[in-house]
Amino acid sequence: MFRFNPNRKAVEKGFLFTIGLLTVVAVLPLFYILYTVTLKGLPVILKRGTIFFTGTFSEGGIGPAIAGTFLLTFLSSLIGVPLALMVGMYSYENPRSVLGRWTKALLEIMMEFPTILVGIFVMAVLVIPMGTYSAMAGAFALVIILLPYVAVYTHEAMRGIPFTYKEAGYALGLTRIKVLFRILAPMAKRGVLTGVLIGIAKAAGETAPLLFTAGGLYESYPTSITKPVGTIPLLIYQLIQSPSPQDHATAWGASLVLMVIFIAVFIPLRMSLKEVKL
Amino acid sequence: MNFAIETVDLNVYYGKNHVIKDVNLQIPEKGIFALMGPSGCGKSTMLRTFNRILELKEDTRVEGEVRLFGKNVYSPEVDPIEVRRQVGMVFQYPNPFPHMTIYENVAIGLKLNGLVKSKEDLDERVEWALKKAALWDEVKDRLNDYPRNLSGGQKQRLVIARALAMKPKILLMDEPTANIDPVGTAKIEELLLELKEDYTIVLVTHLPAQAARASDYVGFLYLGELIEAGPTRKVFESPEHELTEKYITGALG
Repeated sequence: MFRFNPNRKAVEKGFLFTIGLLTVVAVLPLFYILYTVTLKGLPVILKRGTIFFTGTFSEGGIGPAIAGTFLLTFLSSLIGVPLALMVGMYSYENPRSVLGRWTKALLEIMMEFPTILVGIFVMAVLVIPMGTYSAMAGAFALVIILLPYVAVYTHEAMRGIPFTYKEAGYALGLTRIKVLFRILAPMAKRGVLTGVLIGIAKAAGETAPLLFTAGGLYESYPTSITKPVGTIPLLIYQLIQSPSPQDHATAWGASLVLMVIFIAVFIPLRMSLKEVKL
Repeated sequence: MNFAIETVDLNVYYGKNHVIKDVNLQIPEKGIFALMGPSGCGKSTMLRTFNRILELKEDTRVEGEVRLFGKNVYSPEVDPIEVRRQVGMVFQYPNPFPHMTIYENVAIGLKLNGLVKSKEDLDERVEWALKKAALWDEVKDRLNDYPRNLSGGQKQRLVIARALAMKPKILLMDEPTANIDPVGTAKIEELLLELKEDYTIVLVTHLPAQAARASDYVGFLYLGELIEAGPTRKVFESPEHELTEKYITGALG
């Protein structure tokens, strides 16, 4: 027969409360970061004014670093995104082929790979032979960082499309390429673009792979992709090691700029992407 | 006699499973041919050999011949893409492309296959196909809407229009009313009766009653074997095989 447990509802409530509490604890750091960076960064930017965004380092600004971040993000996306889309499509279309299976597995390993090793690899194959740090080397390292994210997200987004749409495309007498790129890829666009954004956001925010590749450039704007370039995260990393409070202030300001760029790119794009309703 | 579709010793395997066994079937030109049988007996699989769409699935093997108007589509020199352009298909789950408008759904096959010369030709053909699919009056004012607000039956007629726009000779229908309400089903069956004047329609169904209502010829498939085929009236009134009789009287499956 049924046994009566007088604590049943209390246990349920306690359980829900605990889970709710743990959830709050888990996302708390995010809000703390937003809060601290704004609190410490905003006064610096307000005090220095527009020179902070446009001036060189000795003028009290981080203009070259902002330009460098955009340059490297642009270059690495330009090369990495199309390449990653192709790789993702390939592993989706050929999931049982030897190459397809390996690609998927390797991409997932690449996603979790320590990024500093990417930097060392690029240093060995580009920086040492060229004899200099360069924007090119930095961009190459970032391509390796963003590629697996974009490719894996593409693969997963494509896999989420019901098989019947693939059949419908082929039943119209379309070639494989047309079914893939004109029918299925647009259906998966939300997932694919999420991957692209995460990849780009990763590339824009990375520090470790740039340590031995991009070099750094803060007293003048970048002029060539074969010369060293600075980025915001790299600058923050270098300034935090300095003993000067002035440098720390610049680092806080730069952190706020990085955070705002990140939020400004990520949130509107993610919200504006319409989900394809099946 | 020349048949629209004819299979010769057709065998299909999924890996080691033998799912279609030595089927020899003739489907006459024009009219509705119902392929009936209980679920999982190979109807959909067989239908997918007629336009070679079965090969999208992994691990399938087809032996024997499928002749469309006398030509074996499985002979090595045949390009499956050419076959599919001449054979329209409608699916069990109404699957208009959700990211395209009603207009684009009908136009997509023509556009991507480069079959129309101008925008006017395309407009004309889209209108023609939607009229032919008995959907024009219901959607003519919202061609640029997405299909998500259409009813199941309307979606299915949109898929029929998408297939008709390609001007196929054969229309394959894989349980087109399985997910549609009774009113929508009646409309689709009515539409099929009009379309059969111009097209050879192969209708897969697991409902003997639907086969009896809608078809001119019928084939009964059971566990991968063709038990019996012939004019619908004859098969339903005096079945030759005991299994057929059991199936149509509801004693089976």
